[in-house]
Amino acid sequence: MTEAHQSGITGIYPKEIAADNYYYVRSCIRQNFFPGSETAFLKIMRNVLGKNIYDDAVHTTCTGIGYHSDIVPFETIQTVVARQFALMTEKGFENLAVSCVTSFGIYCEIVETWKNFPEELDKARVNLKKATGREFEIPRNIAHASDIIYKFRREIAKEAKYSLVNCLTGEPLNLVEHIGCHYAKMFPEMGVGGAEFTSVLSSMIEIWGGAVVDYPERRHCCGFGFRQYLIQANRGYSISNSRKKFESMEPYHPDAVICNCPGCTMFMDRWQYVIAEMENKTYGQGGRGIPVLTYEELAGLVLGYDPWDLGLQMHQVNSEPFLDKLGIRYIPSQKYSGKDGKIMAGPVIPACIK
Amino acid sequence: MKSVVIIGGGVAGIETASALSDFGHNVVLVEKTDSIGGKVLKWDHLFPDLKSASELENYLDIKCREGNFAIQKNTTIAQASQSNGKWMLRTDNNRVIETDAIVVATGYEVFDASRKEEYGYNIYDNVITSVDLEERLKSGKTITTRAGYLPEKIGIIHCVGSRDEKSGNHYCSKVCCITGVKQSIELHKLLPEAEIYCFYMDLRMYGQYYEELYREAQEMHKIQFIRGRLSEVSENIDKRLLIKAEDTLSGRPLKMSVDLLVLLVGMEPGKGTKSMAGICGLETGKDGFLKTSDMHFGNNKTGKKGIFLAGSCIGPMSINDTISNARSAALEVHNYLQTK
Amino acid sequence: MDLFKRLNEDVRFREGLKACMNCGICTAICPAAEFYDYDPRVLVTTVESMDNEEIESLLKSDAIWYCGQCMSCKTRCPRGNVPGMIVSVLRKVSQELGYFTESRMGRQQYAIAKTVGDNILSYGYCVHPSKINPGLHPEQGPVWEWIFKNREDIYTRLGANFDKPGAGALRKISREALDELKAIFDETGGTELLKKIEEFSLKKAHESGFEPNGTTEDDYFREVYKKNDHSGIK
Repeated sequence: MTEAHQSGITGIYPKEIAADNYYYVRSCIRQNFFPGSETAFLKIMRNVLGKNIYDDAVHTTCTGIGYHSDIVPFETIQTVVARQFALMTEKGFENLAVSCVTSFGIYCEIVETWKNFPEELDKARVNLKKATGREFEIPRNIAHASDIIYKFRREIAKEAKYSLVNCLTGEPLNLVEHIGCHYAKMFPEMGVGGAEFTSVLSSMIEIWGGAVVDYPERRHCCGFGFRQYLIQANRGYSISNSRKKFESMEPYHPDAVICNCPGCTMFMDRWQYVIAEMENKTYGQGGRGIPVLTYEELAGLVLGYDPWDLGLQMHQVNSEPFLDKLGIRYIPSQKYSGKDGKIMAGPVIPACIK
Repeated sequence: MKSVVIIGGGVAGIETASALSDFGHNVVLVEKTDSIGGKVLKWDHLFPDLKSASELENYLDIKCREGNFAIQKNTTIAQASQSNGKWMLRTDNNRVIETDAIVVATGYEVFDASRKEEYGYNIYDNVITSVDLEERLKSGKTITTRAGYLPEKIGIIHCVGSRDEKSGNHYCSKVCCITGVKQSIELHKLLPEAEIYCFYMDLRMYGQYYEELYREAQEMHKIQFIRGRLSEVSENIDKRLLIKAEDTLSGRPLKMSVDLLVLLVGMEPGKGTKSMAGICGLETGKDGFLKTSDMHFGNNKTGKKGIFLAGSCIGPMSINDTISNARSAALEVHNYLQTK
Repeated sequence: MDLFKRLNEDVRFREGLKACMNCGICTAICPAAEFYDYDPRVLVTTVESMDNEEIESLLKSDAIWYCGQCMSCKTRCPRGNVPGMIVSVLRKVSQELGYFTESRMGRQQYAIAKTVGDNILSYGYCVHPSKINPGLHPEQGPVWEWIFKNREDIYTRLGANFDKPGAGALRKISREALDELKAIFDETGGTELLKKIEEFSLKKAHESGFEPNGTTEDDYFREVYKKNDHSGIK
C-alpha cells in the first residue's frame, strides 16, 4: 500500500462522533458471548475517559437478528427502535452509543428511511404511542461503540501499559482488522474512513503500536448470513466464508484478528475450531488458531486489565499466544474461575486446536 | 474588424482560433499553461486508425504558425463583465482585454481514479490508468510491472468514473471503450505472449471504424472480452492483483489474478471549465459540463449573448468530433459578429 | 394478484430497486453467489421484468433465501440498487402469501420463528444463553459446553447481571418491558407474521405426514432445521 493512502482517507469520510453523554444500547450476541467486552467498554468510558454513559435496564433487543432473518416485519422493528429512542429521550440523552454492529446498521437504516419517507416516521410515532404510550426524538448522534474507542484512542494510548509490539523482537504485531458488514457497507459515510478502507480499527491498532495487515479478502463478509447460520442446514455457507478469509490472511501470519462486530468475532473464533475438527487445519503457529478479539478486549489488554476479567476465556481459540507476545502476565489457574474467584473445572481442550 | 478571445489552447481552442482568424477576425488565444496543444501532447497513437499523435501535433503546430492569431500563454481569466455590448475580460495579472465575443474551449479533466477506492489506484503498485499507459507507450520504455517483470496477464477495465452513481458521474464518457480496444491491441503488439482481458458492460463502438477495430482486436490479437463490470481489486502477497467481476454472459462470479491492471478513466468537466462557468455566469448541465442552448440546433451557443462553447467543455468528445465542433463554433461566432 | 404492485407497496422495495444495467458488480462480490447457485443480478432483473408468473415462481423457490444480508451489493451498485433489500421484501411477501413452504429453504423460517422469535418475546433478547443448547450447536465448541454448564458463575464473574432485575448484561428484562415489546408486535403486524409462519408451516407439516407439537423437539422442526434435502416433504 502506498504511503499516500496509509496516511489515511478519513478526511474523505468525516464522521461526527459525540464526545460525551451517551445512552448505551447493548448487543444480544455480545451479552451472550463477550459480556466482558461490554463491561470493559463501560469501565473505559467511565474510569479512564471520565465520560457519562447511561446503562438502562429497560431497553431491549433491537430485534435486528429477527429482522434480517425475516421473522420481524419492518414496521415492527421501526417501532422497537422508536421505543429505544423514547427511552433515551426520557432519560435526557441525545447521543446513542451502540454496542452491536447489526443494531448500528438498523438504527442508521431506519433513520435514513424516516428521512426519505416521512410517512414511515409518522406511522412509527403512532404505533409506539398506541402500543406503549411513549414518544421519542431521533438521536442527534448515533455512534458505534468502536467509533467512540476510536475517537479516544490517543487518550487510551496515553494510559497504556502495553504496546502492540512483540516483546521479544520489538517488532509491531501483525493484526488483521475485520469490519462488520453493517458498519459501513450500507452507509459508507457512517463509517470512519468509509467502506473500502475503513479505518476505525486500523487507526486504533496503529496508534497502540501495531501493524495492520491488508489481505485480499479483507472486506469479505465473515459469513454470519443471519438465516445462513441460525439454521443448521445452512451453516456450510457461514463457515465457508470465514474459511475463505483465513486462507487469504494465512500467508501474512497475523498475530491476532480484531473485529468490531459481535457476530464476526464469534464466528471467526468458532469456525477455526470447526475447520480444525473437520480438516485438521489450523491457521496460527504450532497447531493453534489465530486469536480473535473484540476491540474492547484489545483496548483492555493495552490498558493492563486482566485478560480473564476481560473474558478471553470465553473464546474457543486460546489467546495465550497473543498475550505472550504482548508480554502480558496472566495467572493460568484463574482463567476458568467463577464468580468470587471460585475455582472451577475448565472446558475440554480439543485435540485439533490447542 | 471584430475581436474574439478564445479561452483554452487545446485542440478545440486552436481549431476555432485558426478558423476565425481565417474569416478575418482579430483573435487572441489565451492558455493557462506554458504549452499549446492540451492533453493530446501526451498521446502516443490515436484511435481508430492508430495514426501517430505527432501527426496531430504537427497539424496544430502549423495552425498556430500559419494562423493569424495571437497566443497568450500562462494566462488565466479571473473575471468577465459586459460593457456597451462588449465583453471585458480581466486576466490574473490584471490586464483587461476588451472583446466582441468569447469562445470557451477549456476542455475536460480525466477522472481521478483514486476516487474509486476499491480499484486500488495510487494504493497498489500495479494499477494504472489509460492515461498512465499512454504516457508509457509514448515514452517507448518497456511495459513492465512495478517490480520490473513483463506482465503475463493484463486486465483492462471499462467505465471507470463513468456510468456510475457512486463516482458522481451518471453519463457515459464515450471514448474510453475505443481507447481500451486500441490499447489492448498496442499491448498485444508489444507483449505478444500476454493474455489481455477487457472487462466491459457495453462496448460503445459508436464511431467510424470503431467496430472494425474491436473485431480486429478479437480476430488478430486474441483479446478476450468479458462482459462484467469490475467490482473490486485486492493485492496478493506477490503484488499481483486479484480482481472480482461477474461473467454476466455465463452468469457466474469470476476471480482472476493479473499482473497489470489498466483503468479506462472517463472525462469530467475540467477545472477551467468549472471556473469559466462561474466567471461568465454559464449554465451547466446535469452532467456538470457547460450547457449549450440546444443540443441539436445550437450546440455551440450559450444563454449569454456573445459567449460560445467549443470542444469537450460541452461533453466527452473524441478528437475528430472536437475538430468538427470547433469549426462549427467558428461559424456560429462569425455569423454572430456579422450581425453586430 | 399483481405481485409487483404488492412488492412496490413496501418503501424498501422502492428504495432498493431503481433500474438494473446488468453490470454484474453485485454478483461479483456476493458471498451467496460464490457458495450457492445464486445470482443477485438475475434476481433483480427477474423482479424488474414485472412478469407476474416469474415473480410467483421466485417467491416459491429457494432463490430468495440464499442472501446473507451482508449488503456488500449496496456499497457498489452503480445505479444505486440494493439487491439485499429487494430480497427482504420478496421474503416478506413470500411469507405473507404462504409461498415460503414450497421451497426447502423457505420452510426453514419455521425454525427461526420458533427460536429467535420465541426468544425476543420471552426474554427480550434475540439470543439467550439458556436457549443455546450445545446439542443444537456443536459448532460452538467445547468452550460453549463449559459456559452453558457454568453460566451463572461465568457471566457474573464478567460483570453481567445475569438473569437479575436492574441494568447490566443479560439482565432479566422486566415484565413491563416484555409486555411493551409484545404490544409493539401486536400493533405492527409482528405477532401476525409469526402466526402466519407457524400456520402455513404446520399445514405443510401435516400435509406431509409430520406430527409437529410446536416445540423445537418435534420432527418437523428438526427436518427443516437440520436437513439439506427435504425428501420427506411433499
